[in-house]
Amino acid sequence: MTDSARSRILDSIRQASRRADDDTIERELQALGSAPTADLPAPELSTAFLANVLKNQGSIDCVANRSGVVKALAEYLYRHFRSHRLVAGNDPNLAAMPWREAGVLPRFGSVEPGEPVTLSYALLGVAEIGAIVTLTGKANPAANNLLSEHHIVVVDSTRLVRDMEAAWKIIATESARTGRPRGINFIAGPSSTADIEGKLVYGAHGPRNWHVIMMGDLPATTVAEAHALAGR
Amino acid sequence: MKQTSNTFLDNAHVALQDADKAQRRDIMALFTPLVRNAAMESFGHFEALRAHVKQVKQHSLEHLDHYLARFEQEALHNGNHVHFAADGEQMNSIVLEICQQHSARHVAKGKSMVTEETGLNDYLKRAGIRVMETDLGEYIIQQAGETPSHIVGPALHKSAAEVRDLFLAKHDLGDRELAETSDMVREAREVLREHFLKAEVGIIGANALIAENGYSMLVTNEGNGDLCANLPNVLIVCTTIDRVLPRAEDATATLRLLVRSATGQAQTCYTSFYSGPRREQDIDGPLETHIVLLDNRRSEILASDYKEMLQCIRCGACLNHCPIYAGVGGHAYGWVYPGPMGSILTPLLTSLEQSNALPNACTTCGRCAEVCPADIPLPDLLRDLRHEESERKLSPARWRLGLQLHAWLACHPRLYRALTGLGIFILYLLGRRKGSFKHLPLAAGWTSERDFPAPAGKTFMQQYAAQQRADKTREHKQATPVKRAPKPGRVSGRGTPVGRGSSGRTSAGRTSAGRIEPSMGEGWQHEAGPASPGTIRDSGKISGGSKDSGGKAAAKKPKAHPGGPRGKKPRRRKDHD
Repeated sequence: MTDSARSRILDSIRQASRRADDDTIERELQALGSAPTADLPAPELSTAFLANVLKNQGSIDCVANRSGVVKALAEYLYRHFRSHRLVAGNDPNLAAMPWREAGVLPRFGSVEPGEPVTLSYALLGVAEIGAIVTLTGKANPAANNLLSEHHIVVVDSTRLVRDMEAAWKIIATESARTGRPRGINFIAGPSSTADIEGKLVYGAHGPRNWHVIMMGDLPATTVAEAHALAGR
Repeated sequence: MKQTSNTFLDNAHVALQDADKAQRRDIMALFTPLVRNAAMESFGHFEALRAHVKQVKQHSLEHLDHYLARFEQEALHNGNHVHFAADGEQMNSIVLEICQQHSARHVAKGKSMVTEETGLNDYLKRAGIRVMETDLGEYIIQQAGETPSHIVGPALHKSAAEVRDLFLAKHDLGDRELAETSDMVREAREVLREHFLKAEVGIIGANALIAENGYSMLVTNEGNGDLCANLPNVLIVCTTIDRVLPRAEDATATLRLLVRSATGQAQTCYTSFYSGPRREQDIDGPLETHIVLLDNRRSEILASDYKEMLQCIRCGACLNHCPIYAGVGGHAYGWVYPGPMGSILTPLLTSLEQSNALPNACTTCGRCAEVCPADIPLPDLLRDLRHEESERKLSPARWRLGLQLHAWLACHPRLYRALTGLGIFILYLLGRRKGSFKHLPLAAGWTSERDFPAPAGKTFMQQYAAQQRADKTREHKQATPVKRAPKPGRVSGRGTPVGRGSSGRTSAGRTSAGRIEPSMGEGWQHEAGPASPGTIRDSGKISGGSKDSGGKAAAKKPKAHPGGPRGKKPRRRKDHD
């Protein structure tokens, strides 16, 4: 059934299409140029990215190095859960964190029901939309983005890009090297819904809280500037 | 889903009786344009982005044979099973077969208007499969046994109190308050989480398909679509052939318009791209993935003059800005797609015979075309469907007779002006004392609801001609050197003569010169020109001129309706609908 449907549909489409050769199509496509992107709220990628994360109702921390990351994690976990436990994917970047320095106890793997906090290491941060990018796989199981109450993401400041087009270039390069990942996830905020009378509620199906820890050598004023730009 | 589009007027009448729902629709109609406009202003390059995305969509549709074949090739390479379905019945049967192959009893489903179009849920339910909608809005209406009223917010017609009562009745969870919206969301989350974890099959839609790499794009805020795509062992993507775009960057360019137009956000919480089943090293994700590509007359639309409708990105902005949709709500349209886009898609995907009331559910105010991120000339397409309705004698005979009479009169401008002048003058004489009419012959539709204001005595064209004559006389006088000082009262506060070129209003209530064109008066059927920049384009739309071509639209060839006879020789469009 699907084979005959396929040939019938493709035949109809062919008749309605211009039936140009591949070179012509490619040339026409290139001539379309590129789409305009949104202006950044600040000239520095890190400030712009963090401001947009805040606008997307995320929370932020800014630390200098990996020791700072585990310290910030420990404080976050203690503040919310009086605990030092979390679940992280098998990402070499996370495995290399000095966990003992802050007494954080990660379990590496996929989140199980009842585990409230997951940690991801972002492939990229996209300043234009305040989103982090993860690829599904052993290093970041998809469930870890979706099934916890709190999703924490570490972003290396050197892995920030301006816009989604720049992100796709890096993803394409990565895919050519390691093969296409099953899933590419742009995450820009905690899960939300406005399906009941248009009232916005966080924690629809996925995490209620989304926390981004930016790691890098950044000016001390970055976080304050981001808050000022986001108005929160 | 049983189609009731042709009883639109009755459906609308019923909808208007519910004052509470009507009030909520009014609030949404005020609120949703505000957030959309704020998002577009903040972005700052709406027109440029819209022009770019439109070009990309047109390019994709012009070469759909190339890009669909490329997408299929890449999707197969990524490990998917790719299916083609000519109609809804085929899509449903393909999905059922996959479910049965895996002995699936539970299906978790993300929001998909395509599967609403095909009636997939009922089809699977009849085969004994439990399908659970997981988007909160879809879940609410599924529990209530209703259909979506909006393509983005399917349950926005329901009040929080109704949802509360529904959850208390449907969820066997004992005594509880559910006082706040957040309580209801939390409860739905807990109930649905269990279903996610036991579903053997996940079904999602796709906002775009990317030809260059075989990925499908999924855009959600709740994350429910991603749970459907990642937790069950089998994933089925139900989508349509017109979703294909050439490159990944084209999908994200579309995304910029989609989210701002739909919800006023700069970015949705979850934007995901899925390529196929889990890879060797992966520890989660589906083991098997299927992509079902539905045609359901879209290839016929592609070959017709309505192909611009395939540029639609399903953002719902036209619904949010439509006064008819705001007035009567989505259910009145009687099928899956409501509002302006639905009034075009429904006749094209079903038949004009089943839905010819819908193209008439439009004031041609043009707001939908102003905000449409795909730049679809929605009022023009609606008008073309009306034209076709008339040509195929689907509209009532008295309507057609009235239109023919009007068209004949409009083709005789002198007679038209004389008759309208006479009519207006008589109405002026009859109504000048009370200032309005409670009853008027042939206008009961108006006067049953509101008084008809008595005319001022002269038609617009009469007033316009008088003003033109006065202007010419004044210019002539000004051209002649006169040493006398101007009369008091003829000079504005800044010393600018009132009339052409001034910023004030003339005695006829006309704004400054250049804003009213003769072509917009009674002679508009012949002379409609492109709307001037910065002015509302309503007049151009009403006049039968398209936004791009102005009066040229009147000479455009008639639309070839996909449901009409194939290969029929295009008819010359008559000048008047």
